Amino acid sequence: MLKAKPMSRLFIAASKDQLEPVIQELYRRNLFHIDDFVDQTREGYEGFRIGMPLADASAASSDLLKIRSVESTYLVKPEETGPEKKQKTADIRALIERDLPVIEKEAEEITERKSMLETEEKELEQKIDLLKPFVQVPVDMDLLRGYQSLSVYAGYTNRDVIPDVPHECYYSPSKTGNFIVLIVQSAQRAVAERALSDAMFQMVQIPEETGSAGTAIERYNARIGELKKELAGIAAKMEECRKKHADFLLACDELITTDVEKAEAPLRFATTDQAFVAEGFVPSAEIKGLIDAINAATGGKSYVVELPVDREHDIVPVEYDNPSFCDPTQLIIDTYSRPKYTEIDPTLVVAFIFPIFFGLMLGDVGYGLILLVLSLVMRRFFKSGDGARLVKTLMIFSFSTIFFGLLYSEVIGFKLFWEPIIFSRHMNIGGEGGPGAAIPQLLVTSIWIGVLYITLGRIFGIINHARNDHGSHRTKTILGNLGWILVMWGILITIWAYFTIPLMIDLTRQTPVVAGFTPGAIGGLLMIIVGVIFIAQENVLDIFEVPTIISHTLSFTRLVAVGLSSVAIAMVVNYISIGLIIEPQLKSITAVGAVIIALGVLIFIVGHIGNAALGLIDGALQSLRLNYVEFFTKFYKGGGKKYNPFGMKRKFTED
Amino acid sequence: MTLEMVQASQVGLKAIGAGLAVGMAGIGTGIAEMGIGSAGVGAVAEDKDIFGLALLFTVIPETIVIFGLVVALLLLF
Repeated sequence: MLKAKPMSRLFIAASKDQLEPVIQELYRRNLFHIDDFVDQTREGYEGFRIGMPLADASAASSDLLKIRSVESTYLVKPEETGPEKKQKTADIRALIERDLPVIEKEAEEITERKSMLETEEKELEQKIDLLKPFVQVPVDMDLLRGYQSLSVYAGYTNRDVIPDVPHECYYSPSKTGNFIVLIVQSAQRAVAERALSDAMFQMVQIPEETGSAGTAIERYNARIGELKKELAGIAAKMEECRKKHADFLLACDELITTDVEKAEAPLRFATTDQAFVAEGFVPSAEIKGLIDAINAATGGKSYVVELPVDREHDIVPVEYDNPSFCDPTQLIIDTYSRPKYTEIDPTLVVAFIFPIFFGLMLGDVGYGLILLVLSLVMRRFFKSGDGARLVKTLMIFSFSTIFFGLLYSEVIGFKLFWEPIIFSRHMNIGGEGGPGAAIPQLLVTSIWIGVLYITLGRIFGIINHARNDHGSHRTKTILGNLGWILVMWGILITIWAYFTIPLMIDLTRQTPVVAGFTPGAIGGLLMIIVGVIFIAQENVLDIFEVPTIISHTLSFTRLVAVGLSSVAIAMVVNYISIGLIIEPQLKSITAVGAVIIALGVLIFIVGHIGNAALGLIDGALQSLRLNYVEFFTKFYKGGGKKYNPFGMKRKFTED
Repeated sequence: MTLEMVQASQVGLKAIGAGLAVGMAGIGTGIAEMGIGSAGVGAVAEDKDIFGLALLFTVIPETIVIFGLVVALLLLF
């Protein structure tokens, strides 16, 4: 919690004949994050080199290529398919030799036939496109070409063309372009061409066809119909093949992928002629078991030892170590950047605060229920992966929204049966009377949240620097962070000394002690001065950033502002649909009135669905932003490397 | 001009002020987000992994309109 999973550095050295058992064991355990060996390019360097892949690597790779190509032909996707039933690797290995070439050949034939038919179809469609304009011309196509003394022009103009020379012309005006076919004697073509170019003539090619254009098109269309039928047959056959082979292909894919990954592992190790060395990271809790397992696999012919982790220089991979309910939040943190191994992992804090911010903004029982239904529906479609995590987040959001809706006493803009338990957000829309919204209290609450959250961020910053920095730099950065806290609270206390603000401490009634300043004011100003000095000793230029203290704190007022705007929209929708449209009609119901009432109901539904969508997007984005910008910038660097152990979680096969 | 008229116009001017605060702050935010947004979309088209960061950059100027909204709320209530 608040920390990445503890990792230990593991060092494995053995002679090369132990390479395979070590790799097998590491892969099976799926724990070892390999620290890739980088080749030394220095001249005259004699020492470790990158290893060579195992013997069967290239055969396995080419097999994998074939399997992937068949998979793409049949549109089989591992990530979209759930494991129906795991298959035994031994069975698959036996079948690969026999079945795979047959399946591959079949897929190849189908693809070839399909692409041939598709090409023919496309060609025919092009021909039809070329022929289409000539349908209006009452002359067979073979009469439009092959002359020595005549010139034939076909194309589009903006008007009819009548050249001053003997000619024959077929003109068919239409909206898409006026098509013209003009035939003149070649000797007089200059005159004709001038006339044509005056009419913005755009030439088209005369297709090499016989008979009329109409019959040619009919003939081609008939052929396209046949092709389509055949293509449909092929699609059906592909679907059939997909159903028949999908399980086998996925199992093969997984099996061969593991083969390839294992065979290529030495590329990430350091080797000499006779020995190899692998270094990497393993979760500390698992390291003992892994060392024993490797020793057992090699019969003790390997040197496996845990090395100390150098927190400053080692790039330790980061695996989250949070309770399972934080799982969706980890996605949010990853979107920003994974924490470094040495810094605080804020996932747990964000996991609580993010939904609370969202609920504070949307806070409405009705909208909460809409989101809950939405997430329940979406859960059917997203069973695993990031989609499922987002659905989980949405569900948490909906609970938070309902909870705050109960506190605000709000259901789609109406009041529930009790008065708001925290502050009222019900505004006087449509002149309904009542006390209206408690705007100042709400704003002050949001500022309190901001002050406390930013202080927490700064405290995290102090802890991070205390843990990772050394010497005078450490003192400087810690004091710097303390300075930011002092300035913020100093400003707050100074304000308390001069203004009475609801829900805040009132220091205005203190008696002045020195030069008209009250103790509160003196304390506040002192805190500001000391704080600024602390900030400046870390970095003088940071002084220019001091106003961000105010802007970041005020930024938290969006918790109220966004919420109030969503309440306002909900109440306006209610007022328009019910107050202005439905209620007056209900007094005396007529036929027209019923239609108007239906319209009112429609406005009501569309308005609230739109507002719920806006509330969801805005609420999520704004609370995300408050975390990313106002909170993370205080302490969080990120840029940690993801823990990616060597191995695979098998979905389709088992030993 | 009677007292009621003065009071009424005060309420009206407050409302105008609130409207201006939100509207003009919104325009400011829009102008600021215009450049960031287009650059962000371009960057995401190149590399989808930075969507989160691009989104973050895009919403940074949103603070301006929130300030406008807060001022408007303070004026009205």
